Amino acid sequence: MQRYIAKRLLYSLLILLLVTVLVFVMVRIIPGDPIRAAMQQNVDLTDNKIVEEVRARYGLDRPIHVQFAIWLRDFLRGDWGKSLQTGEPVLNMFWRRLPITLELFVGATLWAWIIGFPLGLIGALKRNSFLDASLTTVAIAGVSIPSFWEGILLIYLFAVLFRIFPPSGFVPLFEDPWMNLKSILMPTFVMGTHSAGLLARYVRSSLLEVLRQDFVRTARAKGVPEKVVILTHTAKPAMIPVVTVIGLAWSYFVAGSFLVEYVFAIPGLGRMGVDAIFARDFPVIQAILMAVAVNVLLMNLLVDILYGYLDPRVRVH
Amino acid sequence: MNLWDADERRYAQIQNRDIFKYWSHLGAFIFFFCVHLRPNKKELKMHVTTEQIEGRRVSQVGWRPLVRAILRHRLSVVGIVIIFIIVVMAVFAPFLAPYDPNKQNLYKVLKGPSKDHWLGTDNVGRDLLSRVIYGARISMYVGIVSTTFAAFIGILIGLIAGYRGGAIDNLVMRITDTFMCFPFLIFVLAMAAALGPGINNIIISISLLGWTGFARIIRGQVLLVRELPYVEAARAVGMSKYRIMFKHVLPNSLAPVIVAASITIGAAILTESSTAFLGLGVEPPTASWGKELRVGYTYLERVPLFSIAPGLMISLAVLAFNFLGDGLRDALDPRLRGETKK
Repeated sequence: MQRYIAKRLLYSLLILLLVTVLVFVMVRIIPGDPIRAAMQQNVDLTDNKIVEEVRARYGLDRPIHVQFAIWLRDFLRGDWGKSLQTGEPVLNMFWRRLPITLELFVGATLWAWIIGFPLGLIGALKRNSFLDASLTTVAIAGVSIPSFWEGILLIYLFAVLFRIFPPSGFVPLFEDPWMNLKSILMPTFVMGTHSAGLLARYVRSSLLEVLRQDFVRTARAKGVPEKVVILTHTAKPAMIPVVTVIGLAWSYFVAGSFLVEYVFAIPGLGRMGVDAIFARDFPVIQAILMAVAVNVLLMNLLVDILYGYLDPRVRVH
Repeated sequence: MNLWDADERRYAQIQNRDIFKYWSHLGAFIFFFCVHLRPNKKELKMHVTTEQIEGRRVSQVGWRPLVRAILRHRLSVVGIVIIFIIVVMAVFAPFLAPYDPNKQNLYKVLKGPSKDHWLGTDNVGRDLLSRVIYGARISMYVGIVSTTFAAFIGILIGLIAGYRGGAIDNLVMRITDTFMCFPFLIFVLAMAAALGPGINNIIISISLLGWTGFARIIRGQVLLVRELPYVEAARAVGMSKYRIMFKHVLPNSLAPVIVAASITIGAAILTESSTAFLGLGVEPPTASWGKELRVGYTYLERVPLFSIAPGLMISLAVLAFNFLGDGLRDALDPRLRGETKK
């Protein structure tokens, strides 16, 4: 098991290195000269000497692989550059907003489980019934409805028609827990429904697969009560594919947070990303891209390790 | 912010004229796909024999049983009907829309539904129904074109990686792993920041990320198919590598790609409308569902229909392609055949 984990860890690091290359390249494919673009307002651009001087100061006159090495070194040291908009170090901005987005992620995960597991379970136990068909439809709908539209509908229902929840905004947890709960209930629900749909479908198909196995038939033949068969015999094997969805869900949350934080005006990382993209604030965009990739990689790693733990066959490969 | 406006104006001029120039190419491509890559009869027979030997079906060959299986799947029929309606909306938009979608009428701003304007009017008095109908064009265009590109690149690379194996395969798989660290939306947004907004850049970035999924799927299929007896036979007869790859392996590896294509179209439509909703999509005068929703959201309290109608269309479009993909998956999965009577 340790060897397996080590192998997965090394592989993730390799991919992470490739990701940094990709991010580095992506930010540098902007057409035109970044220095000239940045200095447009302040300096006489016909004076090549000044341009060259500034270029040298930012290290942009060096070969591209050296630039990459320097950038990577600074990034690892925690020097993520300064925001072009505010001049604030990107790392500070990142740490300030991370807890807000993480809170949303945790809330969304809870919603996904609360909705997804029962739906999938019912679908599997009452398979091919009318209930099952309608649950499948609901699950696909949950995956298909754009989160921003769902958010807008919820705002219309619960903030405009019935004034139960605030339409937007965010109250920090330690300032006022009750208001915090009220302000994140809708956004987390919106983020969670997508994964709930996914989860329901995986739970259903995975449970159906396991229920077909011989050991389940044996258990039933021995006279084990149905409840025990479902909860103890099939639970662990049925969890294996479900683990994948939990990893998948986190990568959906990332994209979801961009939209949901925008709709509900929550000052998290997603909102920071959207703002940075509008302002073409490249140091911030870089940081966000790296955070997104690291998040997805970590989740994949976790899923792989859980897989190895749940299914011994995986470890051998 | 002003930077974007300048870009948007420039793109807007090109936009309205050029966008449908490529439909004919697309048609030709799809035609090529259906006719040229159809499994040929001889192989079909060979394939049936292997199935008989192994006592189970390896993959579905030929179109007719497939169509029958899809039509048995109730959800996919619903999906096909919705897709058909939206395609009709997109193609015949000038005939279906009651008004010019870009014609403003500042005397009739933000009106609710009425006899003249079934869905009401937007913030500059344009007919909402007409704009929703025209919006189908952008969504369908982005969905289909970017998926076609992605599938084309992905199939080619996946095929080569899977068939050749070794270092090429290794490299391709590492690259796909790298790209897959980014969700569609975020990748497209970052590319939009680098390349500028505009529908062509969105299509480019969706294809640039989307091919990885296709490459992985086709690679997996090829690894299975290339070991089948009829490929071995083709090799023994002395056929060239490329002939085997394109005429024998590829057609019989396409089944899961069709499922993925359907789902990718849905994802592309969703990505396009999300980008438009965030304000980076299609250029101002052109109608797009995401853009309508973005503006409509501001007037949620006054005219809820302004946000509900375009959002509903996005949901229906994505839903339809997911339904279809679901139906295709069941239809193509031999294990499920005969079991699913949805």
